[in-house]
Amino acid sequence: MKRIEALTTLADLTGRHPVVVTCAATSRELASVRDSSNHLYLLDAMGLTGSVATGLALSLDPAAPKVIGIEGDGSLLMNPNVLPTGGYLAPANLLLVLLDNGVYGSTGALPTYSSRVDLQRLAAAAGWTTRSVDTVDGLRTAFIDLLAVREPAFLYARIEPGNSTGIPKLLVDPVTIRDRFTRWLRESAA
Amino acid sequence: MTYAEAVADGIWAADVARVGYIPSVTVAPVINALVAADGGGDGVSPRVTPLSREEEAVGVLGAVALTGALGAVVMQDNGFGNALTALTTFPLAYHLPLLIFANTRGGPGEYNSMIHSISQPMPAILRATGLPVLELDRRSNAGDWRETVREAGVHAVMTYRPVVVLGSFWNTDGKVA
Repeated sequence: MKRIEALTTLADLTGRHPVVVTCAATSRELASVRDSSNHLYLLDAMGLTGSVATGLALSLDPAAPKVIGIEGDGSLLMNPNVLPTGGYLAPANLLLVLLDNGVYGSTGALPTYSSRVDLQRLAAAAGWTTRSVDTVDGLRTAFIDLLAVREPAFLYARIEPGNSTGIPKLLVDPVTIRDRFTRWLRESAA
Repeated sequence: MTYAEAVADGIWAADVARVGYIPSVTVAPVINALVAADGGGDGVSPRVTPLSREEEAVGVLGAVALTGALGAVVMQDNGFGNALTALTTFPLAYHLPLLIFANTRGGPGEYNSMIHSISQPMPAILRATGLPVLELDRRSNAGDWRETVREAGVHAVMTYRPVVVLGSFWNTDGKVA
C-alpha cells in the first residue's frame, strides 16, 4: 500500500471527522487527494500530531465524531510520549492512524526505529486498542471497526516507502488553516 | 491566600477550561490548589491532569483553543528548553491562545549549581521568539500575582498567542526548589 492510497481511503472515511495531519509529505499528499475544511495540517510541528489530536478530543463532545490523527512513524518517534499520554488521559473519541513506511520520508528516507521497534505493541502497552493492516481493504475495515471503540484507538498501517511525485508544497499560512478548521468545527457542532 | 493559591485562582479566573502540568516541587502547591478547586485529589481532577513533557503540554493544551476555549500549562522555566519548537510551530504559528505559568529556577534561593544556565536567559529567549512574558517576584503581593495571571489569560485570548507568566517564589511564602 502506498501512502497516497492510504490517504485516499482515509479521505473517503473521514469527511465527518476532525482530522489532524502530520507535516510535510503526508499533509501535501492528503491535500492533493482532497483538501477539506476538516483537515488541520500541522505544517512544521513534527511530533505534535498525537498531542494536538489528544487535546482536541478531550475538548470536544465525546459523542461527536471521533478526532482522527494521521501520523508517521518518524514523527511519532520524535514524540513517543503521545502513546502513554493518550493511554493515561484516555479520550474515548480519539483514533490515531500511524502510516509506517520505516523511514523519514520527507528528509532523505533515512531509517526510523520502526524496523526493530514494534510501534503497535508500544501503543497497546500504553493502553490503546490497536489493529494492524497492510492493505487498502484492511485499512478501511479496521478504521470502521475502531470507530466503535470507546477508548483511544491506534490503527497501525504498514505502507511502502516513497513519496508521490508532482505533489505541490503546502504554502499556506497556518492561520488560514486554523481559521478554516475552527469554522468547520463550529459549523459541524451546530 | 498563599502565592500558590493566588496563581491557581488567577488561572481559573481567566476562564481556563483545562490545565496540564509538568511536575515541580515549586508548583506542586499550585497544582494542589487547582485540583482542590476543581473537586479532585492526589494531583488529578476533571480539568487538571499531569503530562510527561513540556512540548506535549503545548500540543495538548494548545489544541484546546481550536474549540474556542483556553488551555493552561503549569511548569518550571527550564522546561521551555523542551518546548520552544512546539511553541513556535504550533500555537504561535497558528495564532492560538495559551496561558503558561512557570516557576523560575536558577535565581535567589537556588541550590542546583547548573540550572541557572538554562533558566537565567529564559525570559530573553522567550521574548526573542515573540512570546510575551510577565515576570512576578517577592515585590508584589499574592493579590497582584492572582490578577497578573488572570490578565495574562485574557491577554492570550485577546492577542491570539501564548502568554507566559514567570513567577519567582523566593522570599514569598512558597518554596524555590
